[in-house]
Amino acid sequence: MNEHDRKAYLASVTDRFVRGEMDRRSFLRTASKLGLGATALGMGFGNRPFMLNKAFAQEQLAPSPDVIAWLKDVGKPFAGTTLKLATESTPPSNAINSQLKKYFEEATGIKVEIEVLPLEQVLQKLTLDVASSLGTYDLYYIDQSWSASFSQDVFDPREQIAAKTELAMPNYNIDDFLPALVDGISKYEDRWVGVPYDIPIFIMIYRKDIYEKLGLKAPATFDELLTNSVAITKEMGPTTFGYAGQMKSGHYALECEWTSMLWGHGGSIFNADKKFVGNDEQGIKALEYYTKLREIMPPGVDGWTWDGQGQAVAQGVAASMLSWGEFFPYFDDPTQTKVSGLCEAVIPPQPIALRKPEECGYGEIPGVGHQGGSSLAVSKYSKSPDAAWLFMQWATCADTQALITALGGGTGPTRASVYDDPRVKANARVGAGTTRHLPVVRETIAKYMGSEPDLPEWAQISSDTIPVGLGKYFAGSYGSPKEAMDDIASQIETVMKG
Amino acid sequence: MAVAQVKRIAISDSPWPWLLPLTALLVVFTIYPLIYNIWLSFHEFVPKSRGLKFVGFSNWIQLWNDTRFWSALGVTFLYFIVALTIEIILGMSIALLLDAELPGFGALRAILSMTLVIPPAIAGMMFLLMQDPQFGVLPYLLDQLGILGKGTPILATSSLALAGVLVAEIWQWTPFMVLIFMAGLRALPVEPYEAASIDGASAFQMFRRLTLPMMSKVIAVAVLLRGIDLFRVFDYVFVMTSGGPGTSTYTVSLYAWQQTFSFLKWGYGATLSLTSLVIIMVMANLFIRIAKVRW
Repeated sequence: MNEHDRKAYLASVTDRFVRGEMDRRSFLRTASKLGLGATALGMGFGNRPFMLNKAFAQEQLAPSPDVIAWLKDVGKPFAGTTLKLATESTPPSNAINSQLKKYFEEATGIKVEIEVLPLEQVLQKLTLDVASSLGTYDLYYIDQSWSASFSQDVFDPREQIAAKTELAMPNYNIDDFLPALVDGISKYEDRWVGVPYDIPIFIMIYRKDIYEKLGLKAPATFDELLTNSVAITKEMGPTTFGYAGQMKSGHYALECEWTSMLWGHGGSIFNADKKFVGNDEQGIKALEYYTKLREIMPPGVDGWTWDGQGQAVAQGVAASMLSWGEFFPYFDDPTQTKVSGLCEAVIPPQPIALRKPEECGYGEIPGVGHQGGSSLAVSKYSKSPDAAWLFMQWATCADTQALITALGGGTGPTRASVYDDPRVKANARVGAGTTRHLPVVRETIAKYMGSEPDLPEWAQISSDTIPVGLGKYFAGSYGSPKEAMDDIASQIETVMKG
Repeated sequence: MAVAQVKRIAISDSPWPWLLPLTALLVVFTIYPLIYNIWLSFHEFVPKSRGLKFVGFSNWIQLWNDTRFWSALGVTFLYFIVALTIEIILGMSIALLLDAELPGFGALRAILSMTLVIPPAIAGMMFLLMQDPQFGVLPYLLDQLGILGKGTPILATSSLALAGVLVAEIWQWTPFMVLIFMAGLRALPVEPYEAASIDGASAFQMFRRLTLPMMSKVIAVAVLLRGIDLFRVFDYVFVMTSGGPGTSTYTVSLYAWQQTFSFLKWGYGATLSLTSLVIIMVMANLFIRIAKVRW
């Protein structure tokens, strides 16, 4: 067993002991086998049982010495440089900003300033930066729907690796990024627009205890999701409802949930001729399904984004949701929710039919696992592109990603190897920051991921035209799903014409 | 600059040395942004070329044909009229009630001013929670009173959403009216009331014939200040409904913000903002003339 695996195993054992899942004798025996006695660890049993866990956790969550040594070596010429990154509030950015960047700064002498902003402000700042070519931001956080827009404004990481071998991180292994994410998030035509940085993705989360109590099986299809949800609402409503949606009128959240339903019913947003086809037969069936599902949701769901949806499950108001996997570790946190250990994650319901990507327009990839990933890239306008490249490699290397996943509350990694990292696997137990849902996330990314189209007008279409139209429909402003979707189609046509 | 020169400027009769700092601030923070906004309204940002392109009057033509804008303008006017009317009536009523030196009224007046220090976005969040269909106190009370059905999502119902937002607005800003009206009431002379009382006038007659005419200037100033603010409403709508459901609570400010910052249509956003500014200026000047407000 190497040092890394030994520490990971010890962390897991300690965690079990502190949680009372292992007796003291077994723990001491295991710890001594691993070459670490209680005294050596500075632990005193009885009065301070959690000190070891905390101290060890800190030791455990430090970056790899190899990575730090490399940073010290290559970072010297750039000491004193300041790098800027504007990013949305995501688990990787938050973990780096609050807990990890100090390691990078100490090792290299490079200062990193991270601005955490709402997504539309990030887009505004990047747009201004490329319009002025001022290089205010050295690194760009690029939402998957902006790849086309910024593809010419950032370095292709493969070119950076080839051009500056002396700055390339040993074992960075760019091929380790999940291929589906590279294609769905970070690639535009043949260029890599940075590397996959973050991957929130829709998975199915349900209350196992309620399902078992009512003799239901985890929903494997859309029909099962509906019949299960109806049964739960009928049996347990109005205290507990079968499903919670994210249906706030005019909010991007509504568009996200709708696309999952649309793709799951064999529809798509655009066809190969780049025409909106959400109003075709499959699109209407999807909206009819969504309407039926809404009937059994809690009152007030029309005012919820994903936050309200997550809260509904966390507080025991709803028994299932098809939503971002990042919620799962939160649900498992007994200090924050009523449902710790009661939720299970499974892959999204199987689609009734699935349109092929080549039948869609603007790079749209139908899949019930709606993804909202992002890339990290070095700006071509940066005044310190080499220092930014070092940071980018460090922030997206396997070691840092494992730390992010452990610190960032079980967020899905974008690298294949990190899913198998012992530090990540050690957290696959019920509790805050669990990673026990990550196998489902990985499978969803590989097989069921859906990606939105990529076009300059998409920000307006996805955050206004579609969710406002759907909001009006659910508020009763249209006579039928067909009428609503036709109106949305005509509005999208107007937007596309400019 | 020599000390003698500074002294000479300081004792000169010319007002310009003293006006210069204020003029500079006005030019930098008001005049220039206004001129830039006008210039911007004839341009549009083109994402592909990463620059502004001259588009002539097309933003203004688009505005004229934009049903979303007219809908937002209608919502804004409705919001403005309803909120202002209720705030004036409630504000004056409460001010009249509190215009007395009774025990505890001092504390009441102090408490009233507390709503004003809460940021509108926070007040919006408070009322968002209070109107939650499942655990909110307002739907519960309305259900108990038989006004609304149980679990009615006020903010997600087209016919109720604007009223839901107005509740937050009125709760937060009625005390502002109360404080202004009270200051006015305290400054009124007592002699006319004594004379009216001797003549046998009723309380209502005194209010209608004395208080209202003498308070007209104060009321006009309050209406002007609140009216301008109400027409720019953004925070409550943004936090509570994001303009929904559909477009039932979409205001002009929210629409301008969205076009500018979410969709990067800087030219069209500037056109919307300028239109809003022109409407406010016209309305304010008309009101000043009609109400004969003198500054």
